[in-house]
Parts: sequence; structure tokens; C-alpha cells
Amino acid sequence: MIDLSQPQRQSPLAIVFLGLRAVRSLGVVQFVVLALFVVRGAADGRLLVVGVVAASGLAAMSVLSWWRYTFQLADGELVVTSGVLRVDRLSVDVGRIQSIAIEQELLHRLTDLVKVVIDTAGSSQAEFTIDAISRRVAEALRQQATTLAPDSPRVAPIEPARPAERVVFQHTPGRLAIAALTASPWAGLALLVPLLAIDQVVLEPITDQLSEWAPDADVGGLGWWLVPVVGVAIAVFVSLLNLGRIFLADWGLALRTDSTTLRRTSGLLSRTSTTSTVARVQVLVSRRNPLQRWAGLHDLHLSNVGQGDMRLVGCRDDELAATATIAGLTPVEDLPLDRRVHPAEIWLSVRNTTLIAAAAAAAGSLLIGWWALFAFALVAVVWWATRRHVRTHRWSLGSEVATSRLVISSSTQQALIRKANVVRVTQSIFERRRGLGRVEVVTAAGTIAIGMIPIDEARAVRDVIVHGVETDRRAWM
Amino acid sequence: MIVMSEPFRNEPIAVGDLPQLRADSFVSVDPRFVWGQFAGLAGIAAVVVGVVALIVWRSDALFWPVLVGGIIVAVLVAISIAAFLEARRLAYQLREHDLSLRGGVIRHRVETIPFSRIQHVSVGRGVIERSLGLATLQVSSAGPDIAVPGLPVADAERIKEVVAARAGVDDEPPVDGAVNDWAPPPSPPPSAEPSP
Repeated sequence: MIDLSQPQRQSPLAIVFLGLRAVRSLGVVQFVVLALFVVRGAADGRLLVVGVVAASGLAAMSVLSWWRYTFQLADGELVVTSGVLRVDRLSVDVGRIQSIAIEQELLHRLTDLVKVVIDTAGSSQAEFTIDAISRRVAEALRQQATTLAPDSPRVAPIEPARPAERVVFQHTPGRLAIAALTASPWAGLALLVPLLAIDQVVLEPITDQLSEWAPDADVGGLGWWLVPVVGVAIAVFVSLLNLGRIFLADWGLALRTDSTTLRRTSGLLSRTSTTSTVARVQVLVSRRNPLQRWAGLHDLHLSNVGQGDMRLVGCRDDELAATATIAGLTPVEDLPLDRRVHPAEIWLSVRNTTLIAAAAAAAGSLLIGWWALFAFALVAVVWWATRRHVRTHRWSLGSEVATSRLVISSSTQQALIRKANVVRVTQSIFERRRGLGRVEVVTAAGTIAIGMIPIDEARAVRDVIVHGVETDRRAWM
Repeated sequence: MIVMSEPFRNEPIAVGDLPQLRADSFVSVDPRFVWGQFAGLAGIAAVVVGVVALIVWRSDALFWPVLVGGIIVAVLVAISIAAFLEARRLAYQLREHDLSLRGGVIRHRVETIPFSRIQHVSVGRGVIERSLGLATLQVSSAGPDIAVPGLPVADAERIKEVVAARAGVDDEPPVDGAVNDWAPPPSPPPSAEPSP
């Protein structure tokens, strides 16, 4: 039995984790660039000395941080002491602990350690994190914290001894592959951002090498037939990037729940686990592009209070419905989305776009002559998109406010009305002249806006929501 | 933690029967507020004119300093007009369960924050507000915040007390089921021990 009433230190290997966290806070890309800069011999000796001194300082701070960081369970409180120059002592009543999550990232797996993330009620994010301790100590901490608050359902047991927890869904590699191939083609380009940041160092030698291999290449003389080939190549390239991105971030994606909490786990190299209480879920957004509609998949986003937002890719209709039900929301197909917005929005968009196109055409005519009139093509595009938006935009108000829209991609937003923190009714000059208005339901983690509706209806929505907030006394956060 | 001591009732409610936010019940902010706005802008304008005068005095340049200074002063005049119009529309309404703020010149807006969602309420007074005897009521929620400027100090303090008390009442354990009325909150139960 581990005596947690005495101050406990993390594993000495936590020094590495603390150092890595410091590096992350300073910027990984900057460090990579600096390292490549040094490796390529672009730095002189003085810069090297500065680098060595900085690295030594970082190492010393990591050791001191590890030495000063202790935790213990005493008098019904979890006490964490930390800080090198300034000592911070944080005491948390175990009854306030909302969840204790045990996570294992890649380095943890290699060293057989775990990370413990402790979240409490009353704070918008995880209260504190113990970077690296043995699983035995982590389990003891969880068990003793639970024992000290035996009647409290707020202490959520964590894996693996979590009998009440059930798996809502878990994605197979095949599902993730479909999710990746149907995802937005540009999303995978996010993988390239770090490379673009260091293009001088990494990409330049590659282009130099290509020039050496094909010094006489004349791209202009290759002909128009190259265009579809390049298009296909780009499509394959971004699809591969999407596959890499989703396999890295969402491998083994699973959503679990007990009666009070939601837990999302995923990751190939680094396994991450995000836990949130159900009450903290404020807004549920589901999106799908045409490919995802064809494949019958949704991308879900649960906006939670604090920093525990959950992104769930590649969910089927039944998984979306299950997630909505857990969050206390109505499955999308059962929503009575029967209210519409006013078609004046089409006129407003077309008018504004025409003014912008006219200004652009006037300015462009000085440079490209009559070709500048093509700016007015934008008006037709905007007219089509807004008309489609107005025809497909639906919303509803019951115990929850929900909106649905479809132009090319579709999306639905849902929030229980008791989650509203502020309700805002606004009217632009255009809307005032036509007796229209806009209502915005602002929660602690997102806003649902319904524009271009009759102002009386907007005010009625506000009155209903304010009434709902004040009469529905269930937990909202 | 979800508290569900009783099944939650959610009976249909006629929207027309709900208490409505009446436009004629809004209370305008103190007229001195606009003078405070003007004073602040006039201070900035004075600094701009002073800097321009200093540049003209210390150098031979006249055109560019006067042009830039003139543009800045013209912008300040435009902001003053907007501030005047905004101050005329700025009004608040305190009801039993929420606080509303009306404002906006080009885009009219009415923001309503229910007391049960208020996390923190405070009264602040800047230098100009202190000289005019005014204060700003700052109401914070887990979402956006609402600031009601241009309140007489006594009014701001009274509203703060009311809002804090009602927001505090809602922190008590939830009542059973849903209560679809707008009655004041129940008084606390009598103490179990007799007072000496």
C-alpha cells in the first residue's frame, strides 16, 4: 500500500517530460529550425555556446522543477506543491474532483509510466497534471481519492477499472480510412505547415536536387494535357496527407461514457484521452461535405466549457444520434426543423456583392480592361449560394435551439436552451426597414445565431430562452 | 453533475404568455455619460493638437503634420458623434430574473443575461467617471460579459447588490423539478437552533 499522505515525487524520468514541455512552450518548430541551422554549419562557435548554455539551463530548470513538484493526499485534500523560484501550493478538496484521467503518450509507453490529469468542478480546464508516475502510484491515487469521497459520484473512475463505463463507439482502421478519404481535401495540408516554416532548410535542398536531375525540364512546353494529371496527383497527395493526419491523430478513436462523463481516446504514436462531464457540453455541431454525405459519415464537434472540446471524425448516423442523446440533445433526424429564414437575405447578399464587384471591376479595368467585368460573375455565384442557403436553412426551438444549413457542405448546430449565458437580439439598418432581426444564443462555449427572421419572432425566441434558463434548474456546466 | 431528483417537466407554454422585454421599460443611462465620453475624446484631441503644434514649432514642416493631425481630429469628431448617438440609445432594464442592455447605432442590439448565469458582478469607476459621479456596472458570465456604463454611483451599487444577491440565490441547491413561475426566490428556512 502506497502511503500518499506523505509527499510523493514523480518518477525521475519526469525530468525529460518537463524538459519537453518547456521546449513545446517555446516552440518545437523554432527548435527544429535552430537545430538544422546548427547542423548545416550556418552558426559560428559563439551561437553554439549560447545554445549549449541555454540547453544546460533548460536541463537544470527541469531537474529543479521535478525536485520541487510533490503531491500528497492529506485531510481530504489533494495538495500539490510546485515552483522553483516561487513556490505554489494548490489544495483541492477531493469532493470537488470531477475526473481523474490516466493517459499514456508515446514516451510514457516506452518508459512504462502514465500521466495523471485531474479536473475539478469550478475550473474551466484541467486543474493540474502529474507528468510521469508509475501506474501503481496513479491507481493508488485514484483509489484513495475515491475512498475519501465515497458517496460522491463526481469522482469519475478511470480506465481500466471502470465497470460503469461503456463504449459508445470505436472506429476501426477501415472507418478511419474512409473518414480520411472523404475529409476536406485541404485539411491534410496542415501537416505541411511545419515544413513550410522551415522551407529554407528542408525544401530548398530537395528543389536543388530536382534541378540537378532534370536541368532541361520545360514546364511551359508540356501542354494542357498535363493539367488533369497534375490535378489527380494533387488529389492523391492531399488524400495521403489526410490519411496520415487522421491515422496519427484519430487511430483507435473511441468515445466512452458513464452516467456523468464523456471520454474520448485516440492516437497512434501519442495516445490522448480527453475527459469532460456531460454537463460541460454546450454545443454539438455536425458537419458533412458531399463526399461524407455519400459515405454516410459526419464530423462531430462537442464544444465544452474550458479546453476539453471533442472532435469526432467519421461518425455514422447512429453514432451521431447516440452522442447527441448522451449530451441531452435530440438526434438530428428527430429534430422538428420547420422554421425558415426570410428570403431578403438573398437580396442583401446580391446587393452587397454587386457593390463590391462594381468597385473591383472599376479598379481592375485600369489594369486588365474589359476582362475586369468578370468580377460580376461573383454576383451569380453569391446569388446561387445564398438562394440555396435560404431554401435549405431551417431552425427550431423547443427544449433546445437547433439550426441546419446546406449549401455545398451541410451542418447542424444544437444547444440546450438552459446552456444559454446571454441572448442577443440585433437589427441592422437593412433588417429594421423590413421588420427583421437576428437572435444569437451565446453559451459558455459557442454561439448559435439565427438571422433574417421577423423581429417579433426573434424577441419571442429570446423570451422563451430566458424563461427556459430561469426555470430549468438542471446543471448547465 | 446532473441533478435529477424529480423527472424534469417541460409542459407547453404559450409564447405570448411569457414576460416580455418591453421597450418602454428601459432606463436610459445618465446624460452625464455623454459628457464623459466627450471629455475623453477631447483629451485625446488636445494631445494630438499639442503634438502637431510641437512638430510645427520644432521644424519647418507644416503641411504633413497639420494634414495628419486634422485627419485624426476629424476621426475623433466622427467618433464623438457616434458616441453621442450611442449614449442616447444606451439603456438597461432590470427584471426579476435578468438584466438587459440596449445599445448600438447602426446595428441595434439588446443583450439579456439571466441572473443564474452571472459569475461575477463589479462596479468600476475611471477618472472621468469619478469626476462626474458615474460608474460602470460590469457583469461577467461564463460566456460574454456585459458592461453598463454611465450609471450614477448609488444606482450602480444598488443594482450590483440586487444582481449579486439574486445570482447568489441561484447558487443554492436546485429546487425539485421545473418551476414555471416568476415568483421571487424562497426565503431561507428558519434556523434549527433557537437563538440565545
